[in-house]
Amino acid sequence: MSETPDGGRISRSDDPATRAATTVATRRGVLGGGLGLGLSAVLAACGDSAAPVQSVDLEGPPREGGSMRIGFVGGGASDTLDGAIATNLGDIARAVNMYNTLLYFDDDYVLRPMLATSVTPNDDATVWTAELRDDVTFWDGRPLTAEDVIASFERIVDPDDPKNGAAALSHLEEIVKTAEHTVEFRLSSSDTALDEQFGQYTSIIVPADFTVEDPVGTGPFMLKSFTAAQSTVLTRNPHYWGEDGPYLDEISLLNFNDTDALINALLSNQVDAVAQIPPALTEVIASDERITILNSETGMYLPFTMRVDQAPFDDERVRQAFRLAANREGMIEQVLSGKGTLGNDMFAVFDPAYPDDLPQRTQDIAEAKKLLAEAGYPDGLEIELVTAPIQAGVVEAAQVFAEQASEAGIRVTINRMDLTAYWTDYLNYTFSQSFWYTRNFLAQANAGAMPGAPFNETHWEDEDFIALVEQARAEVDEKARGELIAQAQEIMYDRGGYLIWGFANQIDAYQGYLGGFVENRTGIPLSGFRLDRVWIGETE
Amino acid sequence: MVRLIVRRLAISLVILFAVSLLIFAATLLLPGDPARAILGQQATPERIAALHEQMHLDEPAWQRYFSWLGGLFTGDLGTSVASGEPVAELLGDRARASVFLMVAAALISIPAGIALGIWSALRRGRTADTVITGVSLVLAALPEFVVGIALVAFFATSVLSILPAVTMAPPGSQVWDFPSQMILPTAVLVLVVTPYIARMMRATMLEVLDSGYVEMARLKGVPERRVILRHALPHAIGPVAQVVAIQLAWMAGGVVVVEFLFRFPGLGQALIDAVNYRDVQVVQAVTMIVAVIYVVVNLLADIVGILANPKLRTGGAA
Repeated sequence: MSETPDGGRISRSDDPATRAATTVATRRGVLGGGLGLGLSAVLAACGDSAAPVQSVDLEGPPREGGSMRIGFVGGGASDTLDGAIATNLGDIARAVNMYNTLLYFDDDYVLRPMLATSVTPNDDATVWTAELRDDVTFWDGRPLTAEDVIASFERIVDPDDPKNGAAALSHLEEIVKTAEHTVEFRLSSSDTALDEQFGQYTSIIVPADFTVEDPVGTGPFMLKSFTAAQSTVLTRNPHYWGEDGPYLDEISLLNFNDTDALINALLSNQVDAVAQIPPALTEVIASDERITILNSETGMYLPFTMRVDQAPFDDERVRQAFRLAANREGMIEQVLSGKGTLGNDMFAVFDPAYPDDLPQRTQDIAEAKKLLAEAGYPDGLEIELVTAPIQAGVVEAAQVFAEQASEAGIRVTINRMDLTAYWTDYLNYTFSQSFWYTRNFLAQANAGAMPGAPFNETHWEDEDFIALVEQARAEVDEKARGELIAQAQEIMYDRGGYLIWGFANQIDAYQGYLGGFVENRTGIPLSGFRLDRVWIGETE
Repeated sequence: MVRLIVRRLAISLVILFAVSLLIFAATLLLPGDPARAILGQQATPERIAALHEQMHLDEPAWQRYFSWLGGLFTGDLGTSVASGEPVAELLGDRARASVFLMVAAALISIPAGIALGIWSALRRGRTADTVITGVSLVLAALPEFVVGIALVAFFATSVLSILPAVTMAPPGSQVWDFPSQMILPTAVLVLVVTPYIARMMRATMLEVLDSGYVEMARLKGVPERRVILRHALPHAIGPVAQVVAIQLAWMAGGVVVVEFLFRFPGLGQALIDAVNYRDVQVVQAVTMIVAVIYVVVNLLADIVGILANPKLRTGGAA
């Protein structure tokens, strides 16, 4: 297959449209953040007089019944019920709860069976065999068949209307039913990471006669009503195949325009849970005894992207100097309010093959200056950094980096753009920023670090790296594949175009009477939006 | 008088025409390609070209302007590119919600402002007057955002928790089905608008109360209530109508901020959403609706002014 899969599109998809959609709100979030701080002062002043905290029993087994309202910032007129083209937070919540996929990523970011009991490759990973569960029915009571699975993937790769996962399946030649509940995916080239694609929330399985106007799925909740940019109501699916849950009778998903209104709704008990709160507001919200904060480590990063094919970054020493100029702890503290983990210029931190034995790169101004001088910039250099509020913290990171880098003689001019303007010319900026959610190495490389990858922001085309990735893609033996990946990562660490300073936590908040939320590494808010596990505790 | 009103009407139409040109030019200047903003990652050259054609972006700007203008006259506001639905349909519910909010605020703030103004004018220099003047000065100086956040913190989230902080009507229902959710958004508009009206009413009322004919009426022994209602008030109301108009027109814009703050499903929210998606047809429609409200309200104020002014009413100054 070509090198164009958009790969392990794990959490929120990373295409520009998604980013625009999910982060439309973020700029307002920045604006709102300031206002929120004003509000927080008011809150702190009157903290004692808040409503009394009721004692809730969350010890026992999950209780059935009740309805829950979830608020999140984002969404707009182009909101969709089609999980295969899910882009913003609301789309993703609908995708995860209305539909199922063959596999899924659990809270530890490990692939687990869902509609398939197993998915296994042949010796060279050109044919993957999926064994389907035989006890699954759709909302309308019809059983799930192999034909439905085939139709679902044909819908995704439909050349006339390709869905989000199509690029990652461009090597899919045919899908064949080989037994009553067995399907074979035949590829034109080896792909040991195909199963990760089956775990994407966009790889939804729908009936063969699916229409988005009248959607039907196998998920824990069924659609009751939907108004784009406003709200979605889901009800419990009585035919759900899973053994545990869903416990709630009804869920309302509510779109908000701005973080302030979202948090006000939480504090005034108009919503039960909110997805994604600004890290800077965590402490203030946590000071309300009724509210619980869900702070999940994720693999999300906000890298600086240096185009390795353009001056000054075509010189490896300049890239290294930039990486040494950054004070990573300082970035995490100032940009993420400490809610993150250190980055070492490599992605896919949760991949089993992630090399955590390489020395942690730290700020070294003297070495950075020396490298710049060797590269022909003894007096430092001027550089324009193109940025936009594509994700909470990105613009702040630009400002902090500009400050830090000035010590090394790197004079950064920040060019802050409007979101749509930014995405119009995305991939062409010499020095810019980006954001990616949790994903394993091969999927990430396929999406953004190979020639022909759809989002190769650094224009990275390293021959050794390419050879290692291609070998790993065809290596079925997990241990051998891990070694190849570790070698590829080391090349990234030595001479890559990314400055990856840290991984940001996902922070959500919910009312204390809710049970079933756990930390989740996928980067999808509120425990990966797995609302089938959520229940309402009994007030004592 | 009729000639005067007709002339005002004609001027309003010219203004609206100029505004439509400005709006169209401004949307042309929005950076970024709307097709790209909508398609995102799926933006293959073929799909961009197809969408350009669908949005008539391949036609020259003047041609697009005139077909848009023509549509305005026939009530066709175009098609939203982001959702594919007709703009008029998309904005119908939202326009109703916004207008409902504005009318609710106007129905409270106009009588309240006028009453407070008269009351404090009649108590000139006394404590009540000083308090009203002071408070209205402070309120008039505060942006609606500050007033809104303070009200939310006090009544909804931190201190009292008795009112909803945001508007949340389930799909299919209307905002007025939930009166408690209307209280805070309406209160913000009322608190920001009333002071202006009260201050203007007080000033003009004082002027009239100091005038010769009020003095004459009093000297003649006309009862005080009658002096105020029949002799003073009609003369004071003309200038106040202008201020009320400016305030109502302002509300059409201020409602955007209030809607943002309270998640109120009105035109303001639609505008914010549309700008982000470069959904030009919706942006144009909403701004045009706000402009029409502005112009119509001002026109009404002019007419009230003409009717209230005896000189103009008899055609003397026309």
